[in-house]
Amino acid sequence: MLHMKNLSKVYRTHMIETHALRGFDIHVKEGEFVTVTGPSGSGKTTFLNIAGLLEEFNGGEYLLDGVNVHGLDDNARSKLRNEKLGFIFQGFNLIPDLNLFDNVDVPLRYRGFPAAERKRRIEQALTQVGLASRMRHYPAELSGGQQQRVAIARALAGSPRLLLADEPTGNLDTHMARGVMELLEEINAAGTTILMVTHDPELATRAQRNVHIIDGQVSDLVRKMPTLFAHDANAAAAAGNPA
Amino acid sequence: MEFRPILSALLRNKFAPLLVAMQVAISLAVMANALHIVSLRYAAATRPSGIADEQNVFTIRVQPLKPPSFAELMAQQQRDKDVLRALPGVISVASANQFPMSQSGWNSSVAASRNQTQPTGTAGRYNTADSLVKTMGLQLVEGRDFTPADVEEVDFDAADSKNDKVIITKALAEALYPDASSVVGRPMFFGIDADAQETHIIGVVQGLQTPGAANGIKGEYSTIEPIRSASPSGAYVVRAEPGQLERVTRDAEAALRKARSYPVLMKSNSFEEYRAIRYRDDRTLAWMLVAVSALLLLITASGIVGMTSLWISQRRKQIGVRRALGARRIDILRYFVTENLVITSGGVVAGMVLAMALNQILVSQLELTRLPLGYPAGGGILLWFLGVLAVLGPARRASRITPATATRAA
Amino acid sequence: MFQYYFMLGLRSLRRNPVLTGLMVLTLAVGVAAAISTLTILHMMSGNPIPEKSNRLLVPLIDNGPLSRYTPGEMPEDNQLSYRDAVNFLQSGQGVRRTAVFGIVGGIEPGRSDLGTLQVDGLATTSDYFPMFQVPFLHGNAWAAEQDKATANVVVLSRRMSEKVFGKENPVGRHVRMLNEDFEVIGVLGEWNPVPRYTHLINGNGGTMGGKDDIFIPFQTAIRLHLNNSGSMTCNGDVTPGYQGILDSECTWIQFWFEMKSAADRVRLQDYLDGYTREQHRFSRFVRQNVNRLFDVMQWMDHLHVVSEDGPISTWLAFGFLLLCLVNTVGLLLAKFSVRAGEVGVRRALGASRAEVFKQFLIEAAVVGLAGGILGLAFSSAALWLLGRQSERYAALAHMDWSMLAATFVLAIAASVLAGLLPTWRACQVTPAMQLKSQ
Repeated sequence: MLHMKNLSKVYRTHMIETHALRGFDIHVKEGEFVTVTGPSGSGKTTFLNIAGLLEEFNGGEYLLDGVNVHGLDDNARSKLRNEKLGFIFQGFNLIPDLNLFDNVDVPLRYRGFPAAERKRRIEQALTQVGLASRMRHYPAELSGGQQQRVAIARALAGSPRLLLADEPTGNLDTHMARGVMELLEEINAAGTTILMVTHDPELATRAQRNVHIIDGQVSDLVRKMPTLFAHDANAAAAAGNPA
Repeated sequence: MEFRPILSALLRNKFAPLLVAMQVAISLAVMANALHIVSLRYAAATRPSGIADEQNVFTIRVQPLKPPSFAELMAQQQRDKDVLRALPGVISVASANQFPMSQSGWNSSVAASRNQTQPTGTAGRYNTADSLVKTMGLQLVEGRDFTPADVEEVDFDAADSKNDKVIITKALAEALYPDASSVVGRPMFFGIDADAQETHIIGVVQGLQTPGAANGIKGEYSTIEPIRSASPSGAYVVRAEPGQLERVTRDAEAALRKARSYPVLMKSNSFEEYRAIRYRDDRTLAWMLVAVSALLLLITASGIVGMTSLWISQRRKQIGVRRALGARRIDILRYFVTENLVITSGGVVAGMVLAMALNQILVSQLELTRLPLGYPAGGGILLWFLGVLAVLGPARRASRITPATATRAA
Repeated sequence: MFQYYFMLGLRSLRRNPVLTGLMVLTLAVGVAAAISTLTILHMMSGNPIPEKSNRLLVPLIDNGPLSRYTPGEMPEDNQLSYRDAVNFLQSGQGVRRTAVFGIVGGIEPGRSDLGTLQVDGLATTSDYFPMFQVPFLHGNAWAAEQDKATANVVVLSRRMSEKVFGKENPVGRHVRMLNEDFEVIGVLGEWNPVPRYTHLINGNGGTMGGKDDIFIPFQTAIRLHLNNSGSMTCNGDVTPGYQGILDSECTWIQFWFEMKSAADRVRLQDYLDGYTREQHRFSRFVRQNVNRLFDVMQWMDHLHVVSEDGPISTWLAFGFLLLCLVNTVGLLLAKFSVRAGEVGVRRALGASRAEVFKQFLIEAAVVGLAGGILGLAFSSAALWLLGRQSERYAALAHMDWSMLAATFVLAIAASVLAGLLPTWRACQVTPAMQLKSQ
């Protein structure tokens, strides 16, 4: 599904050069649920931006669902983003002046679906996240967890091939976070590939696979760590405590 | 076009769009009325005076410091006219007591019948010993011009005129005899009651403005009588060959001075000058109003640029998110142009209403006519275009916001 | 605190020069447009002689014929006949009396470089000068006896005096004008009232423009058979010749009474009524119309001195100012909205909502002050430009102290008004939210 080989990204400001990513390799297969962890400044956000075609990269190769994204112009990337990807942000990023229906509608408009098709997809997505009854409400009227669920509906409405999530539970309390994670796992089970960036090592263990980034590179060191955490998580589950 | 979400978003966040719409509305209202006034003044200032090819006609007034006898004045007048006619470039010369738009002259009340309780109107009262019709190029629409036999010599200091023939303007004819198809031969009175001087109409000209050239029909009532006089100055109207006005004017002045042994005060004016002086204040006002209109557009445009830049910068994150969700640059551009059109349209509609309201106030307070719908409509279209033009800059900058803003910016 | 906020305001002006520049410019242009047109209107309708204006009175009587008369209507002309003017001069009513008509003629300075000049002026009586407080540079006006004696004396305007005699004092010298020898007995100082209320009906410049260069005694002008430069309205039979005009009911002379106090108006009205009744007995005033009196402001109103152009421009200029105001509101909103963080911090550090309100309102006022200064420059430029357009505007387009003050008051008031909404919005910021999102 998503393949990056020897990817590099350099930021140049005035006289300072920052290598955000170098020699970066990652391969995500269809249907996987992969988490990406790393300390702050490690390049997680840069990776996500590049993966999401939000930024360009300097060197290496990136194939998304079989398409080589190198050299694609801005319009082509926007189209690709629109059709193949779904985004979930830490800050939800719903548009406050639009109600839930119109918020989920936004990517569908750019897709060019006719009105009836859009309506169908919106209603289906909102039903899937359990918020169809509040379609005409505004984001400010919802709790954090509900807002994130709307964002997920927005990401799903276009039937994306890959969901990119940037700390989706970062702004939520434990209870809401659990709800969102369960929803994501449901969606993954239904067949959507998910790539999630997170700070939280506990969440990392729930995923099938974890990729750890340090200083812009995938770190081998921590590949061993998941087994440790998984053991702890299993132990905690057996004891009946929430993960 | 995503009108509905745009409209609903605007309604949620009313202040900034409302301010822009208000500016558009005020601009439209003020500009529509201002340009209406300009067109009215322009129309008044370009009314025909009755003189054909004004740019080729000028006047000369000659005033002796110490007037000689009447007989001498008459003889001098004849010599003057001979001298002028002999000059190269002079097509025609006529003596006259006053000129249209010159702002000084003789008016008299006129009536169709001595028994009227009120005069029909006040007319500019022209005298000539020659043919104003010929020299001024007046258009005779009925009857005939004066012949030399009609001319009467009158010393107004010694006696009244006994003249009984008059040429009048069409406007005056219609006022005196509204139902008549022909007025030639009908009587006309200067004044009413027993003292009124009776004349009869021998000809009608299409138009000849009064010296005051007042706005409206009052400036179009004039009479011409075939009288030779000088009171105390002599005045001549001269038609020159096209393109030679300045030279002929100078030559005429020099020639008339030479033809006399005594000093005189002389003043020559072209009709271009008369027209410029008569309508100078109108022209000043018109320019002021045009300047204000231009400034209005400029300020509204700057307001649109400012406000749009403001709320684009406030919505940076949102724009980034839209891009992340698949909007192309052109989609973002189109969004803001559409938003601007919605706001401008609201402002235009409000502005058209405001324009008519402002017009009502001006009509009641001052002598203004109603605003023709073309002005607010045309102004509205202009402001639409202005709005789109003004928003293009900020909208283009918005479209350049990178999708990465969605994940990065605070 | 005011000084502190004022200084903050000044500093913030510098922080965002483009936005500030736009705001100050917009405000300045709007204020300039409003003030320029207001100045013209102010000059057009101002009181030229406030100390006396309610006891200087113009009489308006009706000597018209019975035909075409509607009882109570205004007389056809606003002037007097020669006979009535002379009668009023001799009436002894009020503390001073004067009659005025315009004259035009030739002056021969006797200098080869000048030749003969055409001059406009007034024929009037000796009371004219003290009545209207006309200032003298050299010499003085003639005495009442010289009026009676129809002496050949002339008072020159400063402009004419300098033209003919240069910079020296010409009192006592002689000059040939109107075909006779005249002695110069006085030269006026700055005398250019706008509007020209002393004789509004004239043939040289109308109500606003034009200058009078020579002043000669009323009876001298009559003796010289000088024609009226202005307007004359004649009804009925007029015998040909100058004497015929003097004997007729043609009206062409303007007249003023100066009363001791405004209360004496009643007494003058009684006199007028008695006079016209008497004239009616002599079969002169057949109409028996109402006799009217006008003081200076009423007279100018009656003659429609303020043309339509003044109010039109002022209306539209204020519409324009309104636009600039709305524009400024938007710009101030922009300016204040980016300061949400600062507001949060200040509030957290103890500023009350009222203090924040004061701070931002004063900041708006500072913008207004800057706009007022620039607006003053623009107004002066606009008035100068207008003054060059025509003589009429040249006399009107001068800013006096009251208009100057009005510029600043208007600019600051406008910017404070415009600042109310943005300031209120700025105060609504909750400190907590702002501090956290840093």
